[in-house]
Amino acid sequence: MLRLLRRRLLQGVPLILGVIIMNFLLIQAAPGSFLDVMSAESQVSDPAMLEQLRVTYGMDQPVWLQLVKYIWSVARLDFGFSYRQNMPVLDVILASLPATLVLMLASLLIALLLGVTAGVVAAVKVNTIWDNLLSFLAVLFFAAPSFWLGIMLTVLFAVKLGWVPVGGMMSITAANQGVLDVVLDVLHHLALPAMALGLFYAAVYARVMRAAMLEVLSLDFIRTARAKGLGRWRVVLAHGLRNALLPIVTLFGLQFGTVLGGSIVVETVFSWPGLGSLMLDSVSSRNYPVVLGVLVFSSIVVILVNIAVDLAYLRLDPRIRAR
Amino acid sequence: MPLSRRSILAGGAAATLAAGIPGFAHAQATPKRGGTLVATWGGFEPQALFVPPGGGTSPFFTSTKPLERLLALDQQLKWQPVLAQRVEPAADFRSFTVHLRRGVTWHDGKNFTAEDVVFSAMQYWKPLSVGVALNALTATRALDSHTVRFEFDRPVPEFFFNSVLAGQGGLVIPKHIYETGNIVTNPINNTPIGTGPWKYKEWVRGSHVEYVRNDNYWENNKPYLDRLFIRWWRDPASRLAAFESNALDLGCFNPVPMPEVDRLVRSGRFAADSRGYESSAWCSTIEFNVRKAPFDNRLVRQALMHAIDRQLVVDTVFFKRGRPGLNPILSANKLFHTGDVPKYDFNPAKAAQMLDAAGLRKGRNGRFSVNLLAAGWFEENGKIGQIVQQGLEDVDVKVNLSVPDRPTSLKRIYTDYDYDIALSNYTAPIEAVPVISQYYVSDGIAKGVAFRNANGFHTPAMDDLVARLTVETDPAKRTALAHEFGRQAATEVPFLPLVEFDSLTVARSDVKNISTGSNWMGETWADLWLDR
Repeated sequence: MLRLLRRRLLQGVPLILGVIIMNFLLIQAAPGSFLDVMSAESQVSDPAMLEQLRVTYGMDQPVWLQLVKYIWSVARLDFGFSYRQNMPVLDVILASLPATLVLMLASLLIALLLGVTAGVVAAVKVNTIWDNLLSFLAVLFFAAPSFWLGIMLTVLFAVKLGWVPVGGMMSITAANQGVLDVVLDVLHHLALPAMALGLFYAAVYARVMRAAMLEVLSLDFIRTARAKGLGRWRVVLAHGLRNALLPIVTLFGLQFGTVLGGSIVVETVFSWPGLGSLMLDSVSSRNYPVVLGVLVFSSIVVILVNIAVDLAYLRLDPRIRAR
Repeated sequence: MPLSRRSILAGGAAATLAAGIPGFAHAQATPKRGGTLVATWGGFEPQALFVPPGGGTSPFFTSTKPLERLLALDQQLKWQPVLAQRVEPAADFRSFTVHLRRGVTWHDGKNFTAEDVVFSAMQYWKPLSVGVALNALTATRALDSHTVRFEFDRPVPEFFFNSVLAGQGGLVIPKHIYETGNIVTNPINNTPIGTGPWKYKEWVRGSHVEYVRNDNYWENNKPYLDRLFIRWWRDPASRLAAFESNALDLGCFNPVPMPEVDRLVRSGRFAADSRGYESSAWCSTIEFNVRKAPFDNRLVRQALMHAIDRQLVVDTVFFKRGRPGLNPILSANKLFHTGDVPKYDFNPAKAAQMLDAAGLRKGRNGRFSVNLLAAGWFEENGKIGQIVQQGLEDVDVKVNLSVPDRPTSLKRIYTDYDYDIALSNYTAPIEAVPVISQYYVSDGIAKGVAFRNANGFHTPAMDDLVARLTVETDPAKRTALAHEFGRQAATEVPFLPLVEFDSLTVARSDVKNISTGSNWMGETWADLWLDR
C-alpha cells in the first residue's frame, strides 16, 4: 500500500506542473488584466502610475519568465500576493477553504446518504411505484440547475416557513456565542446550500447505485446467500451493497473536483464565503495570482482525494490488492 | 452655487425634505435611540473596507461610516458642514481657508487637528484619491491647530473646491496612523480608524462588517443606532429573500430585482426611494469611436441616435424607472443641467434620410457595418445592446454585437479602442469637471486609463469651453458655461447618455431618516433611526 501511495504521489507532481503551466498560459491569453480593473475601480488617472504598477506586479517581464518564477515560488509553497485583498494568496485561500470544505463534505454526505439509499431501495423494489418515484426524483434533481434549486429551497424553507436563514455561513451575532452555539449556527446555515449542492449528486449516485445494485443482485453469490437462508436485507446490505459500492467510490473521487466547481454557483446564491465566491470575484477582477492559486490548490486536493480513493479500492475489493 | 461662510451657515439647519413616498417621510418625530440595523447594497463585498485610491462603490460604502469628509452636499444641493465648520475663499479664488471643527477625536482617542487635513490633502487626496482634479493645488498649510489654507496656481471655482472636500475622494485620514508606510497597503485599511459615528468592530470576510456606536462622536446624541451591520448577498434574489425573511433592513443602489420592488412596496412592509442619488446618478451611455469612419462624421452620429428607441430601453430594461438622456450633465443635477439641448427623438425615417445625406446609401450589404460593444459589467448593457442592434439594423446598418466581461470590456474600450460604438455607463457627481468634462476634451485622452475619453473626440472649441468652465469663479457665468457644455456635447454626440436610470433604496418601513444626502450611500448615517 505504501508503494502505491508513493507511486501515486510521484505521478501527481507532473500533473500539478501541467495544471500550473496550462492555467498560467490560459489566464495570460484571457483579454484584460487586473490593471484594467484596478484602473477602473480606483479611477487611476495617470498613465505613468499604471506603468509603475505593471513593473510592481512583474507584468513588464516576458511571460516565460513570469511562469518560471511562479513555478519556483509554488515549489516553495508561495502562491504569490493578492493585490486586491492585500494579502498573500495562500492566506486568502486558507481563509476561504474551511467554508468550502464544510459545504463540500456536507453536500457529498447528503449525496451519498440519499443517493445510495435511494439507489438501493429502487433496485430492491425494481419496477414498483417506489422505483418509479425515486427515478423521477433522481431525474428531477439531476435536471434542476443548482441556482434554481437553491432559490426555490430558500423561498420555501427560509422565506415561507422561516426554518432556516437566507444565506451566509453564520449569524451576524455568532461572534458573541459559545463554540457549541457557533457549530449549531453553522449547521443551521449549512442546511440549504448543502441540500442545493448535494441533491444533484444524490441523483447521480441514485442512478448509478440502482444500476450497480441490479447487476450485483442478479449474480450467483447473491443467489447462494439467499439459498443459505439469509434475510432479505442482510443479503442486500451485507453482500449486495458492498459489492455495488465500487462505482460509487470511483464517482466520489471523480466528482470531488466537480463539486468544487458546482460550489461556485451555490456559494453565490447563498452568499457562502468559500473558494467558489473567491474564485468568481477573482476571475471577474482578473486577480491572476488568486485564480491560479485556487486552481493549483484545488488540483492538489483533487489529486489527493483520488489517491485516497485508490487506497479505498484496496480496502473494499480484495481482488485489487491481490493484483 | 456660491459657497462661503454665509451659504454654509444658511444651509446649516438640517434639510427638511418633501416626503413623496409613503414610509420615507423624513421623520419629524423625535428619533429613538438604540437598535441594530442590517444594510446592504446591490453589489459585492469590498476588497478592503477602505481603499485609498477609491476602489469603487463597495469600499466607498464601508469606508464612509467610520471616516468623514470636511463637507457634505445635502439633497437640496446645499453644502453642509461636517469636519469643516466653514470655508472662506480668497478674493482671487487662488486660496481657500478652511476652519475645522474643534473637539473632534479619532476613534483611538487622539485629537483631530489641521495636520490631519494637511496630510490628507497632500499625501492622500492629491496623489491618490482625487488625482487630476487637484492638479492646481500647490500647497496646503496649517495656519493653527484648526485652520488650514489650500493654495492653488490658478483661480478655482468655489463649488469645485467644495465638491472636492465633499467628494468620494475627500475622506480625512489620521496622520498619526498613516504617516509611516504606504497608505495604499496599510493594514489599518481593513480596520479603519476615523472620526465618524461608527467604530469598526469586526469584519467577517464573505459575510459582514460590524460597526458599533462611537460614544465620543462630535455631534450630540448621534448616532442614534447602537450597531450597524453591512452585509453582502451576492445574488439579488437572495437579497430579496433576506428582506422578506427580516434578515435585512435596508439596501442601497438597487438591491433587489427591479420587477420585485413594486411587490415589496405593495406589501406595506417596505418602501422604495429614488432620492439620495443626486450626486451619484447613473446613466447608460453610447460612445462613438470618432477615430474611425464613418463615426468621425457628426451627421452619422446624430443619425444613429435617431435610430435608437430609448424609451423602449427605459420601459423594458429599466422597467420604466428612468428616462432618455439629453445631456451629459444629468437631469438629477439641478444646478448645472439644462434640457435646452439638441434632442434625438426616435425617428428611423429621419435617421435613414440623414445617413443618405451623409453619403451612406443602402447597398446590397446594407449601409455599413458596426462593431457594437456592450460593456458586460452591468447585465442591462447586454439588453440595451440588443435594442440598439435592432434599431440600427432597421436603418440597414449591419451590427456585430459583443458583450464581453468587465476586464475585457475595459481593455477593448480604453486600451485597444477596439469598438465602433460602445455601450457603457458612468456615475456623475454634481460638479462636471473633470469627471464628465474629460470625456470630451483632448486632456481626457489617456490610453489605458478607464472612464476617460476613449472615443478620441476633441475640438478646439470644446477644449476652450472646458478650460473656461474649470476656472470660472462667477457662479452665474459658470452655470451658463455648463449649459453651453451640455449643448455642445449633445450637438457633437461623441458620447452621450442613452438613458438615465434610477437608483433605488429599499428599506423596511420602520427605518427612518433615509435618503437625506445627495450621495446618501456614502453618508455617515449618524441620523438613521428605527421606529420599533
